[in-house]
Amino acid sequence: MREDEEPKSIFRDLRVMIFIIALLGSIVFIHPGYNSEEGFTTNLKYGLDLEGGSWLQVKLQGALVQVDADTNMLLKALIEPLIGNTIEITSSTATVNLQGQAQTQVITFTTPGTVTNSQMDLLGLGEYTISKQNELTQVKLTTSKENLIDSYLGNSLKAEIVPMVTTDGVEYEIRTAVTEQQIESLMNAVGGSIVKNADGSSRYKDRVRTETRDLTKTILSEKMNSLGLKDIPVKTVGDEYILIDFAGIDLATAREIAEKPGKFEIRIQITGNETKHVLYGENIESVGIVGYNEMDGMWFTPFTLTEAGALALQKAAIETGATRNPMEHNLIMLLDGNEVYSAPLSNSAAQQLETGPIYSWQSSTGSGDEGKEKAQQLQIHLRAGALPVNVEVIGAGHVDATLGTQFKKESVITGFIVLLAVALLVYRKYRQKEILIPMVGTSISEVIMILGVASAIGWQLDLPSIAGIIAAIGTGIDHLVIITDEVLYEGKLPPTKVYLSRITKAFSIILAAATTTVIAMGPLVLMGFGSLKGFAITTIIGVFIGVVIARPVYGKMINEVLKDKSEGQV
Amino acid sequence: MSLSLTEKLDSFVRKHNDRQLLVLPVATFLIAVLIIAFTLATTGAPVKLGMEFKGGTMVSLTTDTPATALKEKYSTYPLTDVRQTGTRTVMQFGPMSSEEQLSLTQDVTDTYGNVEIRQIGPIYGKDLQKQAIKAVIFSFLGMAIVVFIIFRTFVPSAAIVLSAFSDIMIAAAFMNVAGIELSLGTVAALLMLIGYSVDSDILLTTRLLKRRGEVEENITNAMGTGITMTTTTLAALTVMYIVTTYSYLVIPSFSQINLLSDISIVLIFGLVADILYTWFMNVSILRWYIQKEGTKIARRRRA
Repeated sequence: MREDEEPKSIFRDLRVMIFIIALLGSIVFIHPGYNSEEGFTTNLKYGLDLEGGSWLQVKLQGALVQVDADTNMLLKALIEPLIGNTIEITSSTATVNLQGQAQTQVITFTTPGTVTNSQMDLLGLGEYTISKQNELTQVKLTTSKENLIDSYLGNSLKAEIVPMVTTDGVEYEIRTAVTEQQIESLMNAVGGSIVKNADGSSRYKDRVRTETRDLTKTILSEKMNSLGLKDIPVKTVGDEYILIDFAGIDLATAREIAEKPGKFEIRIQITGNETKHVLYGENIESVGIVGYNEMDGMWFTPFTLTEAGALALQKAAIETGATRNPMEHNLIMLLDGNEVYSAPLSNSAAQQLETGPIYSWQSSTGSGDEGKEKAQQLQIHLRAGALPVNVEVIGAGHVDATLGTQFKKESVITGFIVLLAVALLVYRKYRQKEILIPMVGTSISEVIMILGVASAIGWQLDLPSIAGIIAAIGTGIDHLVIITDEVLYEGKLPPTKVYLSRITKAFSIILAAATTTVIAMGPLVLMGFGSLKGFAITTIIGVFIGVVIARPVYGKMINEVLKDKSEGQV
Repeated sequence: MSLSLTEKLDSFVRKHNDRQLLVLPVATFLIAVLIIAFTLATTGAPVKLGMEFKGGTMVSLTTDTPATALKEKYSTYPLTDVRQTGTRTVMQFGPMSSEEQLSLTQDVTDTYGNVEIRQIGPIYGKDLQKQAIKAVIFSFLGMAIVVFIIFRTFVPSAAIVLSAFSDIMIAAAFMNVAGIELSLGTVAALLMLIGYSVDSDILLTTRLLKRRGEVEENITNAMGTGITMTTTTLAALTVMYIVTTYSYLVIPSFSQINLLSDISIVLIFGLVADILYTWFMNVSILRWYIQKEGTKIARRRRA
């Protein structure tokens, strides 16, 4: 035969070379080792169900909605319960700015009752003037409809509302659990409703913004770090879920860490290192979004204090003398006892505190990117590790470390016995070690390569992944049987030309089967299923490695080995 | 064993005509449909939903305390089921408040060893249920599309899809009879079954449609390969089932791995069903189809 005239080593074959490189590469990635202390070691990462630890899956409670309402009714709904008297709106004018977007509303209202400055400050609707006219109190307020809706929803739901201008109107993020019906009835009470799309569907979404989800994730990560838990991965799953893995921590502790906010405190410097307590985190009413002051080029974090907080700060500032000499008396912010911010009062704030409390504050953090970063940090600290939205634990798990180790051992034992059983059956069928050894060898090398890929991409092997590997062994052997039977049709090795056409046919069957398996596993990878992803991904990796790298080499190998054998017999 | 099984199966297939071969698969399918319909009528779901889809808490731990004492101890919680195998106890709880969850977790982790806990909120469970249904439907449709693209002829492709569907139905009916609940693991098993089931069908169909020679001869050959494939996979799964379910009998410190145990038993039954559907139903459909096409071609030639 012509092929025999130029015997080509099978190691020269490109596919064989790729196979060997992939196998060696996998072993390098797995990095098996042994030392007397730890025993058998590898680079493989294990999931919590094999390593021990706990995990929490939380849903962020909140909604995104676009609403409309009647300005006058909104104002009534806001002012009347506060002052305990009726108001009458005497004039209301809206001004449209040049872009035709942000509207400023100037509203004048009168009431037979009294309206105080602090009541209006607390509402924080905008600039106002209060005057007495005959028996009536007249208030002239400059505000906007967005401000009114924001305050109205915030007061009614006792939640933080974050409005944001989008291309088709203002969208309000409601940072608490709320239903569509709740919002609809709240808006109906002020002559409004949830805005509808052209097709009649309502602009209500049962989720928070991606930015909010990411902020929540960042705060959780920060908190874990500040507690000295360095390697706690916090992952986002879809738009509304966050998954936190606590390696080596039991579930009860994990829940405490995730659900308990940190302790935030503001102190004021008396002299040198001596400081005095001013207020705790519960006196911070809300924390705003980081802003940039174009006047002095500084980044800042805005926050508002409760009435008690604002009074406490005023009292402390006057007592320590900070109002007269602010530079000597820094305001110091602490989170869990660690200083996170320290700066003197601004001159204007110091002067204002002499006469009355200040509710709205801005902490400047400096200029440039550094200042911006500091401002964002401070925003998180001011929240005292409290999350911007309420979270609900919707899924949790816990596996003791000893149990995880047991599972790991059992999985390895299962894998070995599975291979042994498969080898036994293959031997019963073919009764030739020339077939058995390449077949089992290919199967083992496929497993090594799956583990190599897992190690290279830092995939955590968990129980579902191990099920996936065992499933891959199963389909792998199936495909090797198809190749063997196709090549050995009628019991003996065919001439090379026929061999090539048969191996092509065998591969068309294998490719078809592999495609259906990958397609069947696809939805599991794409959907947000936490624990089944591992199963699907390892199965798919296994199928790919098998079809692309390992099985072509098996086809080659089985031909060579059997050719040698039949030549030896002649 | 695999050889003799192949021989018996082969002679059975040769001795019976297409209609006779269909009796067993059709009867089994109807029984499965009845079981699933009964479950649907009594529980509102085609298979019994597990904790992951209904919401609740599963606690498994190692203890010598008898089930009755545990029932007593945790009676203040919505305890629904206590099962013991060896020293391993699995307790199932219904949905409970966040505070209850925390106190139960604390109590269990402080008192017992080798604890495993899983909690799923009822709303998230519903969400998972929807996703699981979607996953199964998309997987099945995806598989069907691939099969039709590969063979491009209606009857053989439809036979493969029908066979895969029957395998899933039998596996689901078996789960109902054996009291195995639908969990994320068993959903994975059902999806895997789609892959495994199609393997032997594709082999059979390719061998019969694309290889020249006697139909019966081709069936025998395909059966030799196909049964080897299925039995090796069955052997692998049986080992997996035995080790993950009963190894504690040999090594007392070992625990059952429920996830792997569930996956393997569902796949075992699905694959046993697959032998029936590939080598009885699919074979009879294909044999009939090839004969019909053959006579068509012969007639055309004569004309």
